[in-house]
Amino acid sequence: MVALTGCALLPFVEFRANRIVSGEPESVLAAGIAGWVLVAFVVLALAGAVAPERARGPLLLAAGAGSGLALLWALGVAAVRLQQGAPAIARVSIGPGAWLAGLGALVVWFAGTRATGSARVRRTAGAVALLGVAAVLMWGGLAELSIAREYAVQSRRFWGLVRQHLVLAGSGVGFGVLIGIPLGVLASRNRVVREVGLGVVSVIQTIPSMAMLGLLIAPLSALGLAAIGTTPAVIALTLYALLPVMRNTFVGLAGVDPGVIDAGRGMGMGRLQLLVRVEAPLALPLVIEGVRAAAVLVIGIAAVTAFIGAGGLGILVFQGWGQQADDLTLLGAIPMVVLAVLADISMRGLRRLVVSPGIEEGAVS
Amino acid sequence: MITLRDVTKSYGEVTAVDRVSFEVPSGEVCVLIGPSGCGKTTTLRMINRLIEPTSGTIEIDGRDIMDSRPEELRRHIGYVIQSVGLFPHLTVAENVATVPKLLGWERRRYEPKALELLEIVGLPPAEYAEKYPRQLSGGQAQRVGVARALAADPPLLLMDEPFGAVDPLTRERLQAEFARIQRELRKTVIFVTHDVDEAIKLADRIALMRAGRLEQYDTPETLLDHPASKFVHDFMGSDRALKRLGRACVADVMRTDVESTTDGTRAIPREACTDSRFVYLTDESGVLEGWVDCRVLDAGTPPEDAGTPVDWREAAVHPETTLKDALSRMLGFGFRNVAVVDAQGRLVGEVSLAAIEATMADADTHIANLEEGEVLGALPDEEARS
Ligand SMILES: Nc1ncnc2c1ncn2[C@@H]1O[C@H](COP(=O)(O)OP(=O)(O)OP(=O)(O)O)[C@@H](O)[C@H]1O
Ligand SMILES: [Mg+2]
Repeated sequence: MVALTGCALLPFVEFRANRIVSGEPESVLAAGIAGWVLVAFVVLALAGAVAPERARGPLLLAAGAGSGLALLWALGVAAVRLQQGAPAIARVSIGPGAWLAGLGALVVWFAGTRATGSARVRRTAGAVALLGVAAVLMWGGLAELSIAREYAVQSRRFWGLVRQHLVLAGSGVGFGVLIGIPLGVLASRNRVVREVGLGVVSVIQTIPSMAMLGLLIAPLSALGLAAIGTTPAVIALTLYALLPVMRNTFVGLAGVDPGVIDAGRGMGMGRLQLLVRVEAPLALPLVIEGVRAAAVLVIGIAAVTAFIGAGGLGILVFQGWGQQADDLTLLGAIPMVVLAVLADISMRGLRRLVVSPGIEEGAVS
Repeated sequence: MITLRDVTKSYGEVTAVDRVSFEVPSGEVCVLIGPSGCGKTTTLRMINRLIEPTSGTIEIDGRDIMDSRPEELRRHIGYVIQSVGLFPHLTVAENVATVPKLLGWERRRYEPKALELLEIVGLPPAEYAEKYPRQLSGGQAQRVGVARALAADPPLLLMDEPFGAVDPLTRERLQAEFARIQRELRKTVIFVTHDVDEAIKLADRIALMRAGRLEQYDTPETLLDHPASKFVHDFMGSDRALKRLGRACVADVMRTDVESTTDGTRAIPREACTDSRFVYLTDESGVLEGWVDCRVLDAGTPPEDAGTPVDWREAAVHPETTLKDALSRMLGFGFRNVAVVDAQGRLVGEVSLAAIEATMADADTHIANLEEGEVLGALPDEEARS
């Protein structure tokens, strides 16, 4: 509903004479027929919301994917139409109406995945939606949008920054796992580590990221290390990754049924055998969940480390703010969201791959 | 053989086990019983060194358990607990193979062994080997627990209330099955329970504990007939004649020459009921489906209406059912006869109230003789003793 009204009332796209001046609003109807298709899918979503139980899931999936694709299409059509005859430096930005519609499409899509019982239907719908997105991107209408133009300008730098961002976040999570898992294991064995360790790590978590980078300056200089650049960035990210990994490892191990441990000990397993053969596999779902949370968290925080010269997508965001070029900011922000979503999906995939079907809900019939 | 000498375990002020000594001969089942908190679990767990005794010695076949590494010791002692403790992330077959793997057996040795044990505990491997523990019922999980404890063929088995967490009917079946397996395998077993009937049914000897002390250690018959103290007498219960029926099973008194027919009720001529009152109806493979009461035929009911269809799972007993359970089943149904079927429901015989009564009469005269004589009179007075 919100998405519908947003789509209708708020400016759908904004036309600007150049990159920086404020734009003139245009409604969704600027997209012509594509705009009407979008409206039709929004109506379908409403129908899906009130549909009977069995039809609801697929209907919502179709509406979510359909309105999302129609939105992209409409954006492209509107951009192409508005750019016609305009000077090369004119820009067509995505307006608040389109943002709301996009958000609405995502909400409808995820409501659909939750309402759909069959994994096969979900997977098919996902594949179709992905193919649709690929098709719209290939069509090229979107290239007329401002954000795509920013990309065209930045393209050489862009992928380097993505890689830098991945390296930063990846090292943070990697070190976080290397330190956090052993700390979690120790916490489950030792009360002092548990109380002191978890306490310290939780306090670290509450330090705002900017403050953290500032706080790191003193100890790093004392050690003779550079207080700006990649090293402090990775240290800060590692510290943030620590809590989810350590706490989940601890909670996972502490949650292992004492009867199972007693049985293992009673059958002659040593401490290490018990850990490797029994406790670790049982704690694994929670550990992976911790790594997933850490990855999503750290991909976000890694943006801030651009401030101390560590690079990454944060650079685009900050430059965009500095130049008041919103679309440059978006060019940094959207890939971060995509990276976070990809990290999330791959950790879920990993979990499905390595966790025993004996302890996953619904894994065995 | 396993020997405990003056074994004591103290937790600070609390003495959980207080100078307990007893000996379990090889191949016998010793049941540890007593009120909650009397130290049964502590005693049991000292035998595989999950708990270290404060003082005293424990020997297995003459070797002090302190001479071997705890892990090594435990791999040669089967261990079953009430919470079962199956590893949820492993399949049933993998669970069973745990100890053999720890011992370094090769796959081609432990795999067939695991399947064989599943068969022995009554879980067809084809159906159960690849299941995960959460797909099992409580009774099935407990069977897997027993199979797992037996996997490396340990001579000694420690069981802590293994059937404590299942419903009474399942427990009865598990007990019967345990008795059958034990007859075959002849392990030395130490078995903890709360349940006097279970102890009487399964024990060669009962060790009755109270507040950390061993109150009496003897055969179930002796505990019933010659209680060493009022506590033992009260703990074992007053219905001793009935309890004794827990020592005998249906197979001991059932008759196997029962009349049965696969032709349904129609074909039963009156002559079929010459010397038994019931003619049992079975299907082609012999599975009990019902019976005909010949007196109903006599009363002139047409044969096709005389049959009573039944489900053998509810209305029959097994050869290994104790007489006590058979009796309570009969009283429950209000029958003087009950059919006996095997595990698949095939009719194997019939047990009558009269046959059970005869057993009871033997026991009664036995007890009556004892009661007239020394036993009750000689009961040590509780207050005077302590
Ligand atoms: N770790 C411990 N610390 C202190 N006291 C303990 C400990 N373990 C057991 N006890 C005490 O020792 C006594 C015997 O305990 P145990 O578990 O052996 O009893 P149990 O006969 O198995 O009881 P139940 O039938 O309830 O299982 C109890 O009074 C218990 O409170
Ligand atoms: Mg106990």
